Amino acid sequence: MTYHRPTCLDDAVALLQCAPVEVIAGGTDWYPARGDRPVTSDILDITRVDGLRGIRAAPDGWWIGAATTWTDILRAPLPPDFDALKAAACEVGSIQIQNAGTVAGNLCNASPAADGVPPLLVLEAEVELASATGQRRLPLAAFLTGVRQTALQPGEMMAGLWIRKPAPGRAAFVKLGARRYLVISIAMVAVWLRLDGSLIAEIRIAVGACSPTSVRLTALEAALTGCRVADCATRFHADHFVPLAPITDMRADAPYRADAVQALIARAITEAAL
Amino acid sequence: MTNIKPNSSSHKSDPNRRQVLAGSAAVAAIGAFGLPVGAQTTAAPAASGAFASLGVPHIRRDGAEKARGGAKFAAEYSYPGMVYGALVYSTIARGTITSLETAEAEAAPGVVLVMTHENAPRLERPEPFYSSPTGMAGSSTPVMQDAEVLWNGQPVAVVLASTQEEADHAATLINVAYEEAEAVTSFDVAAESAQTSFYAGRDLLIEEGDAETALADAEVSIDLSFNTPAHNHNQIEPHAVTVLWQDGILRMHDCSQGVDLSAITIAKVFGISPAEVHLSAEYVGGGFGGKTVWQYHILAAAASQLADRPVRMSLTREGVFRICGARAPTRQRVALGSDREGRLTSLIHTGTTMKIENNSMTEPFFEQSEHMYRADNMHLEIRAGTMDMLANTFMRAPGAATGTFTLEVALDELAERLAIDPIELRVRNEPEVNPTTGRAHSQRALVDAYREGARRFGWIPRSGQRQGYREGEWQVGTGMAAAYYPYKRFPGGAARITLNGEGGALIETAAADMGMGTTTATAAVASERLGIPYDAIEVRHGDNTLPGALIAAASQQTAAIGASLTAAHEVLLAELASLVPATSPLHGLPAAELGTAEGALYSLADPQQQIPLVDLVALSESGTVSAEAQGGPISEWTQDWSMHSTGAVFTEVRVNSVTGEIRVPRITAIYDCGKILNSKLAESQFRGGIIMALGMTLMEGASFDERNGRVMNPSFGSYYMPTHLDVPHIDVGWTDIPDPQAPTGARGIGEIGMSGPAAAIANAIYDATGKRARDLPIRLDALM
Ligand SMILES: Cc1cc2nc3c(=O)[nH]c(=O)nc-3n(C[C@H](O)[C@H](O)[C@H](O)COP(=O)(O)OP(=O)(O)OC[C@H]3O[C@@H](n4cnc5c(N)ncnc54)[C@H](O)[C@@H]3O)c2cc1C
Repeated sequence: MTYHRPTCLDDAVALLQCAPVEVIAGGTDWYPARGDRPVTSDILDITRVDGLRGIRAAPDGWWIGAATTWTDILRAPLPPDFDALKAAACEVGSIQIQNAGTVAGNLCNASPAADGVPPLLVLEAEVELASATGQRRLPLAAFLTGVRQTALQPGEMMAGLWIRKPAPGRAAFVKLGARRYLVISIAMVAVWLRLDGSLIAEIRIAVGACSPTSVRLTALEAALTGCRVADCATRFHADHFVPLAPITDMRADAPYRADAVQALIARAITEAAL
Repeated sequence: MTNIKPNSSSHKSDPNRRQVLAGSAAVAAIGAFGLPVGAQTTAAPAASGAFASLGVPHIRRDGAEKARGGAKFAAEYSYPGMVYGALVYSTIARGTITSLETAEAEAAPGVVLVMTHENAPRLERPEPFYSSPTGMAGSSTPVMQDAEVLWNGQPVAVVLASTQEEADHAATLINVAYEEAEAVTSFDVAAESAQTSFYAGRDLLIEEGDAETALADAEVSIDLSFNTPAHNHNQIEPHAVTVLWQDGILRMHDCSQGVDLSAITIAKVFGISPAEVHLSAEYVGGGFGGKTVWQYHILAAAASQLADRPVRMSLTREGVFRICGARAPTRQRVALGSDREGRLTSLIHTGTTMKIENNSMTEPFFEQSEHMYRADNMHLEIRAGTMDMLANTFMRAPGAATGTFTLEVALDELAERLAIDPIELRVRNEPEVNPTTGRAHSQRALVDAYREGARRFGWIPRSGQRQGYREGEWQVGTGMAAAYYPYKRFPGGAARITLNGEGGALIETAAADMGMGTTTATAAVASERLGIPYDAIEVRHGDNTLPGALIAAASQQTAAIGASLTAAHEVLLAELASLVPATSPLHGLPAAELGTAEGALYSLADPQQQIPLVDLVALSESGTVSAEAQGGPISEWTQDWSMHSTGAVFTEVRVNSVTGEIRVPRITAIYDCGKILNSKLAESQFRGGIIMALGMTLMEGASFDERNGRVMNPSFGSYYMPTHLDVPHIDVGWTDIPDPQAPTGARGIGEIGMSGPAAAIANAIYDATGKRARDLPIRLDALM
C-alpha cells in the first residue's frame, strides 16, 4: 500500500488514472467506514495539493477548493447567502471533525444525511470534477445520483465547487436530531431567500435525510414566491412534498419525518427572513 | 421519625458474601454493629480548623494528577518485550466452530501468537457473582476452552503482536467457520419460558394478601405496562489490562472495581493461589458496575503465559459492547389500586427480564416497590428468561433505575385519577416502618425532601388537572418522582492505619477509586476518626496486597471503609495505650477509655489529659504505630434496620408540538442519604447519576438485532448519550441528617441519582402534552 500526497493537481489526477486509488481528504467518513478492516488499497491524500484548500472570490462567484474544511468555511468572510452553509458547518460532528472534514468529502461520500448538501443545493452550487483528460462541471443535484452514489467516473476527483453570485439574499439551516449536538440528522432543511419588503421575492428550499439524496422542493418554492413570510406555512400542500420519500429507521419513523419536515421548513424560512 | 429499636439480633456465624450480597433477611451476623456518629464525637474536643474534615468540600485527591496527564491507567503500563492483544469475535449467537484458519495471521508481520480454543491453556470456569463469596466474573462461561459459541461477539481467537496495529491487522486475517445452532435471541420467545427468578439469595417474589382481588375491588385503579431496552455503561475508559508473569506471580494492571475479588477469581481460573496474583488498579476511568472480570483479563493472562511475554489488552469501544455486559431489557407491569383518599390497597409490580444460562444476574426492578410505599396487598415478582446473548450484569442502580421509572409513572397516573397532588399521594402512602420487613427506619426524611424540593423548584400543586402551558411551538410541563436506592455494606472491608513520627498517618485499604472520590472521602473519614489533619493523611488503595476485599459497588464502599477505619482505630488505641509511659496520667487506661483528637491521645473521662501522638510514636521501636482490622459485622442492614436512601426529583420539560423534540431545561433533586461527607463529591455523584438517567430516558439503548443476537450500535457514533448541550442546570440538595446506624452516618450516594429522573421527565412530558410515554427511550416520534 502506498500513501500518495501530491502537491499539484496534475500529479493527483495522473495518479488517479494509472491505478485504482482511494481519494481521501479529512478521512472522517473514509476511516470510520473501514471499521477494523485493514487498509490495503493505495491512498491519494488531496489535502496537500496546491490551490485546493480555501475559498476564493471571483467576479462572478466563489470557488471552494476540495480540501477546504468546515472550519475554513466558518472562518471565511462570506455574505449572508452562505449562512445556511455556515450553520451546517457548526453542526457537522464536533469541532475536531470540522477541523479535519471537508465540504467536498461530505458531498463525495453522498450520504442521504450529509449536512452540507441542502445548503449547497439552495446556493445552486456546481461541482468541478478533474481527471487526466480535463475538467467538467455539473450541478450538485446531478452529481448526487443516489445513496452513496455520485457521477464521479473512474479516474475523476472533485477539484472544488463553484457558486455563482446570486442576487443578495439570506439563508438558514435547521437540523433535527435526537440530541443537541454531535448527531446524525433525522431531517434537515436549508432555505435561501430574497425579500421584497415583507414578501418573498425568490426562495429555494432543500430537504435532507428524507430521500435517497437531498432534494429541492421546487413546487413549494413556486407556491411561496410572492407570499408574505408570515403566511408561508398556510400555503403548504401535500403535493409540494411529493419529492420526499422518508424512511423508517432507528432514528425516527417515516410519518414522523414527513411531519417534522414541514415544521423545519417553516422554522428555516422564519429564521432566514429575520 | 419512628425510632423503635428493632428485634434484637441473633448471634450466629459470620455471613458469607453470597448471603450478604443477597441482602437476605435470613442472614445472621455477629452482634449489632453501627456506631452512631454522635457517639464518637461527643466526648472528643470539637474538631476545628485543620481537623474539621467531614462535610468539607475537599477537592479530589486524584484530580490534579488526572488533569496533568500523570495518572496511569491500566493500558498505560509498559514492560520490556511487551506485546499487544487483539480479539476476534464470533458472528453467530450459538453454534460450534468448525474451522479456524490462522496460518495467514500467524505469518503476518509482528505476530507472536495466535491463541484459539485449540491451543489455549486449560482453565477453570470463572466464578460469577453469587456463585461463591468471592465470585467477581460476569458469567461462568468457559473462556476459550472448546468450540462452542454461546453469544454473538464471543472471543474466538486472540492475536498477540509487537504493535497494536499489527495485532489488529492479523486478527482480520483469521477465518472462522461455524455450524450454527438454533439460538434464542427473541425477548418474546425467551419470555414464554421465563421463571420466577432466584436472585441474590432469594426468589424475586413477594406476595402479601391478595393483590389481584384487591386491585379488582379497588375504588380507583390503574394497570400499566412498560418496556425498557438494554443499556451499556460506556465508561470513559474502555476496559484494559496489562499483564505479565514474573517470578511466579501473575502481575496485572487492571481497571477493576474490586481488586481483591478480581484477583481471587482470576487465580481460581488459573488454578493458582490468590497470593500468586498481584492485581492493582490505582486509577479507573469509570465503572458503573461493569469493571469486573470479563474474558479479556483471562485471555490476556493465558496468552501472556503461552507466549511468555508481557501483554497489553486494550478493548476497542466495540470490544466493550461485545464482551463486557450491562443492563438487561425489561418488560414491566405496574398496577395500583387505592381508596378515594389515595391509600394504596394493592401494589402489583411484576415483569420479565433476561439473563443467560451461565449467570445468576436478574435486573431486580421491583426493589423500590418493596420498600417505598405501604400497601395493604402486594404482589411483586420478576421472571427471568434465558437468551443467547452476552451476560448481563450490574449497571448503576440495578433494578431501581428502570423500576422507579415504572412505579413512579404509575403513581403519577394514579394521582391524576384521584385528583390528588402527586406529592400528597406519596406522603399519604409513606410507610411508618418498612412495608415488607416491618423493621424500623434507621433514618428517613423523604417527606422533608419532597417539601424542600417543591419549594426550591417552585412546584405547583395540582389536583387532577395538567398545569402545562404553551409557549409558541413549545409545550411546557413539570413533573416529579421519588428516587430510591438501598443502603448496603458488604463484609470483607479492612484497613490498616500507620502513624508516622511527623504527626501524619497512612491509610491502606484494597478499595477502588473509579473517579468518584474514594481516596478523598477516605482521607476525610480517617482525619475525623484519628484527629489528624486531613492533609497529613495519605491513602493507598486499589491493590490486592493491601488489607481487605472491598468492592466499589452498590454505593456501599464508603460505608465499608468507614467501618474498617472504626475497627482499625480501636486496635490502634490499644497499641497506643501500650506505649503510654508510666509517668502519664493516661497510663493504665484501657483502650475503651481513650480517644484521639487534635493530634493527641486523650482520656475520654478527662479530655484535658492528653499525650501528643508524635510523642507516643517516638516511643515505639519501629518509629511507627500500625493497626489493622476488619470492619465489624454488617447486621445493621441485614437484620436490624430498614436502611434505604430516598429522594425527590422535579423536572421541567419542553416538548415541541410540531417536531416532538424534548428539552429538559431544569431539574431539582433533594436526597435523603444520611450525612453528606463531602459536598463537592456528592454534588457530582448526584449530577452524574441524573445526567446518566437523562440519557436513559431520552436516548440510550443498545439495539439488539433479534434475528442474529448482535448488538448493532456498538459505538458512540450510534449509541447516543447526552452531550453538554442536552444537560440543563441541575440543582441538587440533601437533608444531611446522619444515619445513626451507618458507620460514618452516610448511606451512599453513587447510584441514587440514576433513579427518579426518568419518571419525573415522563410525568412532565405528560403535563406538557397530555401524552403518556411508557417505553424508554422516549423518542421524538413517540410524542407525535
Ligand atoms: C464523529 C463524526 C461525526 C460526524 N457528524 C456529521 C454530521 O453531523 N453531519 C454530516 O454531514 N457528516 C458528519 N460526519 C461525516 C463527515 O465528517 C463529513 O461528511 C465530512 O465532511 C467528510 O469530509 P472528509 O474530508 O473527512 O471526507 P473523507 O472521509 O476524506 O472522504 C469521504 C468520501 O469522499 C471521497 N472523497 C473525498 N474527497 C474527494 C475528492 N476531492 N474527490 C473525490 N472523492 C473524494 C472519499 O474517497 C470518501 O469516499 C461525521 C463523522 C464523524 C466521524
